[in-house]
Amino acid sequence: MFRIYMRLGLRNLLLYPMRTGLTVLGLAIGIAALTFLSAMNDGWLQNMKVNFVLTQMGHVQVHAKGFEASRRIGDYMHDTSEVDKALQNMPHIQAWTHRIRVSGLASAAGANASVLVSGIESDNEKKVSRLYDFVQQGKWLQEGDKRGVLLGDVLADRLSVGLGDKVVLMAASPAGDIASEVFRVRGLIHSGVMDVDNLLALVPISMAQHWLGLGEGVTDVVIRADAFTSVDGIVNNLKQILDSKRLDSKQFEVLRWQEIDPMAEQWTIFAGVYTWIVLLVVIIVVLAEVLNTMLMSMYDRVREFGLMAALGTGQKQLFAMVVCETLVLVAMGGVLGFVLGAAASLYFGAYGLDLSQYATAFSFMYMSPIVYPELTFNGCARILIAAMLGAVLAGLYPAWKASRLNPAAAMREV
Amino acid sequence: MSDDMLLQATDVCKYYHSGDSDMAALDHVDFQLKKGDFTVLSGRSGSGKTTLLNMIGLLDTPDVGSLDIAGEDVLALSAAKRADFRLQRIGFVFQAYNLIRVLSARENVAYVLQLRGMAKKERLDIADHWLSEVGLKGLEHRRPDQLSGGQQQRVAVARALASQPVLVLADEPTANLDSQHGESLMNLMRDLNERCGMTFLIASHDPVAMAAAKQCVHMEDGNIVSSDIV
Ligand SMILES: Nc1ncnc2c1ncn2[C@@H]1O[C@H](COP(=O)(O)OP(=O)(O)OP(=O)(O)O)[C@@H](O)[C@H]1O
Ligand SMILES: [Mg+2]
Repeated sequence: MFRIYMRLGLRNLLLYPMRTGLTVLGLAIGIAALTFLSAMNDGWLQNMKVNFVLTQMGHVQVHAKGFEASRRIGDYMHDTSEVDKALQNMPHIQAWTHRIRVSGLASAAGANASVLVSGIESDNEKKVSRLYDFVQQGKWLQEGDKRGVLLGDVLADRLSVGLGDKVVLMAASPAGDIASEVFRVRGLIHSGVMDVDNLLALVPISMAQHWLGLGEGVTDVVIRADAFTSVDGIVNNLKQILDSKRLDSKQFEVLRWQEIDPMAEQWTIFAGVYTWIVLLVVIIVVLAEVLNTMLMSMYDRVREFGLMAALGTGQKQLFAMVVCETLVLVAMGGVLGFVLGAAASLYFGAYGLDLSQYATAFSFMYMSPIVYPELTFNGCARILIAAMLGAVLAGLYPAWKASRLNPAAAMREV
Repeated sequence: MSDDMLLQATDVCKYYHSGDSDMAALDHVDFQLKKGDFTVLSGRSGSGKTTLLNMIGLLDTPDVGSLDIAGEDVLALSAAKRADFRLQRIGFVFQAYNLIRVLSARENVAYVLQLRGMAKKERLDIADHWLSEVGLKGLEHRRPDQLSGGQQQRVAVARALASQPVLVLADEPTANLDSQHGESLMNLMRDLNERCGMTFLIASHDPVAMAAAKQCVHMEDGNIVSSDIV
């Protein structure tokens, strides 16, 4: 029976090319716009995630237990050899590096500013983060240059220092003493991310260890995975190995990128909410476009529904018939709109949509001003399912009306 | 009910509200049909012909009375069972707008067979057979708007007969036809009645229709006033 419902639906729709055409067009425009918006959202989110992770956070970080919450230098890892050994043989790891993170104060020629001191391994760091790519003036830290420092460009401005100038960095050691060291500016960094440009001071990790009295200790192991999809596997793997080494599992904390910065969690939630809003709008667009058309077409055909009922078509069959017709209508508009929206998404996905004119300040949120819409399978599936759901909803009321007609009364109508 | 009795309507009433008074479209009607009857229900416009046909065709329910068709108390059936009873037992020919406009003549005839779950090849063969029986061979693929009024009525007759119902109900089948086409449609139905033994009940005040009847039943103001074997 399903085939005759489809055939009847399609032919009835083609009987009114103008009405059907306008509805299909309206649907197509709506679905196209929403497909594109959804792809923009996914592209944006993906872009922010990549920027966030690659600027400096990494996909996964290992700390001493409690460091993420306390941010106290006292909560550092005395020995990371078990972690390193575990990472050596683990699949899906692209690179990892060690860091020491501590907040402190910088002063130069009478100006002071708060800084985030980051002790880094100059070679490994290049493989994990993009900080190396952000060097704007001067050079990256060289192996053996114990007193070299790289500063964020805004920070350097505040301190009124340039290449070759001296800077004194002050920070508290685990014992609680304030220790200070003199460094010389070797380079300036510009990333567009506020936390980096306004705060960051990169120094060699060996120098930081010595200066703060950490011995071989570090605060972070920063891991770059080969893809976002590998992150959960790596985290579980690592936790398992560290547990099986009978290390006190309370010794380390293994964090996903989302857990490192609450802002990242916020985006994910926001993006999820946005997705639901888009889907809701899809359903509303379909409802608004289709319900009216279907009701009109229903009223035009009261007699015919009466005839079909008189001939012995059951109420359920009439109901299914109208719902099918609605589905056919939405499928026509939905497929057309989806193809248009997908084409636009693919085009701008390849060439980028440059919003820098409107949004110069995006980068502080890890957003690039050029958006590359991303058409994901899930994104497409969600939109199509929402459209079909809207179609079924739009069909329900007309279908209910059609199936409730009294055949004798319906046949009297002209 | 005796063996050759097909339909027994007893004391059937149907009231419609007009203004603040009730008006009896059927006023205590008793009516029978035997198998193989070819009965024409005549009467002035508004006398209650369509109303009675609708009751018998289970398209509407009487307010009072009982109705027995082929040994079944049809008023006791649920809405779904009534639809099924119509599908299995009754063929309809209406005055106009008989056909589903987006289906071809053959698809219209086959539609009822499809509702009954008949396989595609079989139902199309049967549709073609009945279309040629009513003289429409070669027009199977035309849509209703490509057929004349008389041809459309013939498609409806073919559809009513294709499902081999126990009873065919026709409401003013000739009303939209000129007398020549009206006569040939009536002769067709009479011929099928005689050859296949199907029972017909036809509401019509058309003299052409009455001329073809085996039995004439006359209605006035919701009452049956006379019943004559012709
Ligand atoms: N749905 C309805 N609502 C109100 N009154 C109705 C309704 N259906 C029928 N009637 C009335 O019932 C009476 C009988 O109507 P019916 O249609 O049975 O007459 P008829 O004999 O078929 O007439 P015609 O030859 O014009 O078709 C008429 O007076 C009509 O106005
Ligand atoms: Mg009538």
